[in-house]
Amino acid sequence: MVSPFCWGCLTPLRQTSRTILPSPSTAVSRGPAFHTSAALQFMGRPSQGGKKGSTVLKFRQPAVAAMKKKKKFVEKARPPPVGERKAIRKRIVLSNPNALEVEGLQELSEETMVDSRLRGTALALPVPMLDQLRAVQAFKPKQGWSIFRRPCTVLRRETLELGRFFDNVTGDVERRGAVIKKIVGGARKSGKSVHLLQAMAMGFIKKWVVFTIPEAQELVSATSSYAPLSEENPNLYVQNEATAALLSRTVAANKDVLSGLRVSQNHPTVPAAKPGMTLEDLAKTGAQDQASAWAVFQALWKELTATGPAPGLEKHYTPRPPILVTVDGLGHWMTESQYRNAQFKLIHAHDLVFVRHFLSLLKPGQDQPSLPNGGALLYATSTTNNPPYVYTLDVALKQVAARDAGVEPSSPQFPQPEPYSKTDPRVFEVLESPKSKHAQEGRLQHQILGGVTHDEARGFMEYFARSGLLQETISDGWVSEKWTLAGGGVIGELERIGKRLRVAA
Amino acid sequence: MAWLTSSCVVQAMQSIRSPIALRTLLPQRSAAHTTHTFPRASLSTTLQQRKNVRTYATEVHQSSEVPPAGEIDFEHFRAMPARIVPVSPSYFSGIPKFYDHLLRLERLLALNATLPTVPSGEAPRKAWMKIAQFREHLGEEVPTKKYMGLLKVVYRLNCIDPSLIPEEVNAALQEFVRPGNPLGEAPAPRQLDELGRARGKGKRKASNAVVHLVEGEGEVLVNGRTLAEVFPRLHDRESATWALRCSSRLDKYNVFARVRGGGTTGQAEAMALALARALLIHEPGLKPILRKAGVVTVDPRRVERKKPGHVKARKMPAWVKR
Repeated sequence: MVSPFCWGCLTPLRQTSRTILPSPSTAVSRGPAFHTSAALQFMGRPSQGGKKGSTVLKFRQPAVAAMKKKKKFVEKARPPPVGERKAIRKRIVLSNPNALEVEGLQELSEETMVDSRLRGTALALPVPMLDQLRAVQAFKPKQGWSIFRRPCTVLRRETLELGRFFDNVTGDVERRGAVIKKIVGGARKSGKSVHLLQAMAMGFIKKWVVFTIPEAQELVSATSSYAPLSEENPNLYVQNEATAALLSRTVAANKDVLSGLRVSQNHPTVPAAKPGMTLEDLAKTGAQDQASAWAVFQALWKELTATGPAPGLEKHYTPRPPILVTVDGLGHWMTESQYRNAQFKLIHAHDLVFVRHFLSLLKPGQDQPSLPNGGALLYATSTTNNPPYVYTLDVALKQVAARDAGVEPSSPQFPQPEPYSKTDPRVFEVLESPKSKHAQEGRLQHQILGGVTHDEARGFMEYFARSGLLQETISDGWVSEKWTLAGGGVIGELERIGKRLRVAA
Repeated sequence: MAWLTSSCVVQAMQSIRSPIALRTLLPQRSAAHTTHTFPRASLSTTLQQRKNVRTYATEVHQSSEVPPAGEIDFEHFRAMPARIVPVSPSYFSGIPKFYDHLLRLERLLALNATLPTVPSGEAPRKAWMKIAQFREHLGEEVPTKKYMGLLKVVYRLNCIDPSLIPEEVNAALQEFVRPGNPLGEAPAPRQLDELGRARGKGKRKASNAVVHLVEGEGEVLVNGRTLAEVFPRLHDRESATWALRCSSRLDKYNVFARVRGGGTTGQAEAMALALARALLIHEPGLKPILRKAGVVTVDPRRVERKKPGHVKARKMPAWVKR
């Protein structure tokens, strides 16, 4: 559209009416065939109405008005139903019938998990246990379980240490009631989550009660319901939906153990908890009734950490098993959550009672250990899924390691945050755990998973070869070459290499 | 040779002007000089003119002064030429000194063209002057291409059998050798340091790498991190350790590398080159294997610059009629 104003002086251009324009034939003979004025040029353009007033066409200007093209009808595939894509993404496949069955494969059991001769071999997870492990969401979608005949894990040094601890706590009288508290760290793909899985498997073997939080992020990402805890504590928030999910996971996985234990404490806040009912039923009430989930969880925890019966309920009491708690993705609990309070401020993750409960276990207990019947706390950090700023956690974990190594917090060697850096004092506070006064309760440790050794890497690669995935001659030289390429035996990288290699055609 | 450079002349002039002590020596010398060139008759008049010459304020005025140059007496020329011809035939070219050199070398080549030669690989290795150095030496803006043409003649002359080469040619060639002749003697072979470390440097694209190689069991640290952390791509890890891998030494050495600049591919390949050089210090016999593996040859390519009128280095905008 041509502006009716001259851009030079902003006066209206004189629009000569069409009637007084000279006829086209005279215009051609009189003056030049081009126009210097945009307004005049516009006047000479052939109009859509079919007026045959103009003969001057611009270069490559079509003389005939373009026809409207009919749009081709493209048949679009119907998008998959809601939730199907996510289901495919999150699907966990634990078996591949095309993979070879490994001959002489041993299963993880009470004997094999402490057998140091088996170090570096892959041990299969018992088939009946797979349902339990699925129930606690021990498997992650991208861990590569789907390429083997059945899920197996390598018995590495850290696994053996953990196996011995499980064995001692259950069997040894002196070590009964021992607690280890570890924050599992390490490089990307170094096997932190699988380490937790192995711990869960051992817990199921040893008939422990296993509580898992497979994704710590889900508790702080504001995707489930939350409410203030009570009128007295308006700044604490309870997540009933997530608690109910935890209870249902725990019931499904620990059915055998919980059904053998009965309510032997008084629970005035939980009317559903009748003395003598099994803990399985108690947990189920919480899983079904979300409104009471948190109170039921507290009652369940009180039952499991009881060292003796309440007066008058002696006949229902049996000794409680040790507890294993695993949390994956601890970094998300060390910052503000995505939840908002009434003032629309972000709620700190430590103000969610669920999170607060599991973090408080890291501190030494007051009059009795935090897990009086023994057990293990394994909280794993993540390298790939972290909130944006985890600097405080990094420093706090260094402090944990220093404290564990015996460095006094007052000494200059004790790691301190950079001056003027933004840190969260609550994180330091929650991870500051002094030595417990109870001998059985271990100190909080920061365990860093590194690469596997050459021997372990060889066993792992042999497992690939025996499954038919790797068609190479496994020699020491070949293994050590792959060990180097895997960044010093990082097990996830070894898996990537073993999966990728194909024999030359 | 050094006297010919312009900066040296300027320096010499300054050293004559500045110290007063030297100025006292000047008159006698220049007086002696003038006796040869100027007729004695004009001396007395020039002495009088000389009194008005300004001197330094701190200088003690002395009676014995430099006699100035007298007028040229055209009457007393020995022979009057019909036209004045310059000494050098290349006087009217822009770069006469260069052409003088070139003509001299070509004359030498023409004289000695029949002498037996050796293959260019066996000719004595000499570091010829670089273009910038040659320009400064002559004081002329010699184009690069012309200097290359001159060097071709120099190479040809250098290929004359060393046992038969005439002294005149040798002397002429010596003028084009860089002072010190860096290629004359091979550098001392590199050694391991007292801790058993070999150090190698490498470059590729915009990256540079320094590798310290010690005997060990196959651990690799790049910038203090593991190989897998630094190079997420498996291909990059393989190319970074290629020198060790193709010689099957991957589990015999520990590698500490520092890599800077560029992207991951460049960093990996810079590290490969540095690693190969460090490995050659430990085991010089591996050179043919490493050369075959392609980690000895340097890839000197860099990103080609963008040119005006182009969209990228070579890409031109699409042609439009108007």
